[in-house]
Amino acid sequence: MPELPELNPVIHGKLRLALLSLLSGVDEAEFTWLRAKTGSTDGNLGAQLAKLEEAGYVSVEKKFVMRKPQTLYRMTEAGRTALAEYVAALKELLGSAVISG
Amino acid sequence: MTDEMDEKDLAERVRLIESMMAEGRQRTARWGWTFVLWGVAYLVATAWSSGLVGGSVWSQRYLAWPVTMIAAGIATGVGISRMRKGQPATTLGRAIGATWKAMGISLFIVLMSLGISGRYETHVFVAIIGAMLGVANMASAMILKWKMQFACAVVWLASAVLACFGTEEQAGISFLAATFFCQIVFGIYAMFLESQRRKQRGVAHA
Repeated sequence: MPELPELNPVIHGKLRLALLSLLSGVDEAEFTWLRAKTGSTDGNLGAQLAKLEEAGYVSVEKKFVMRKPQTLYRMTEAGRTALAEYVAALKELLGSAVISG
Repeated sequence: MTDEMDEKDLAERVRLIESMMAEGRQRTARWGWTFVLWGVAYLVATAWSSGLVGGSVWSQRYLAWPVTMIAAGIATGVGISRMRKGQPATTLGRAIGATWKAMGISLFIVLMSLGISGRYETHVFVAIIGAMLGVANMASAMILKWKMQFACAVVWLASAVLACFGTEEQAGISFLAATFFCQIVFGIYAMFLESQRRKQRGVAHA
């Protein structure tokens, strides 16, 4: 029997998965937009984004626009690859579940 | 994976990925108003420069196009910066934005140069503006795969061609007709579509 793939624990968390999925469709997004789309609290969102940044899956840019602070998040190439691998592993696991079920 | 909960959990993850990707793709941008604004600006500038508007301020006909175009440009810039506040940047948005910005800058430079040099002439004006707006609408229509905007591009190009072969009066009429249909009517149509889309999205989210 072939070995089933492991799911990347960094991506598997629901909020982190939601964040990477959102960022996969845009060039860059503000913290406030990510908060609105996920319905998360500032603290939790910041913590999960920090974990993704630590893993090298997102990059952060902090700047001032018209004297107001703005934090922009971008998905990195490593993040894109990791999400693609996660989706492939998920498909494989679900496929095996259907077969075994 | 043997547990039924695990299977449910994985299926939930798939749904989460799909829904978040769809959220990321959704746009709340509204562009119809820019077409209407510029259409009205063209008509005001045409009326002012033709002497159709009375009053001391309006008697300075040479100011008609520069003043109206700069005012419309500022209004567009302010409106877009407010609309984009907090919205994420996308490759598609950048591509379409770049097309219109490039067209606007080129048109402004060429028409200002013609005005300053004194070589401004109705045929040339309509041919240039028709060709430029034809190109921008066509590029945008091709990116968005939007047939209605492609039709606008054809109308603008037809107006440009007519200006090359027709009389000055025909060139002027073709410009006014293209402005009415491709800016005002198309802009109102785009605004209607945008409001329909927002209503549908509201229903889907409820």
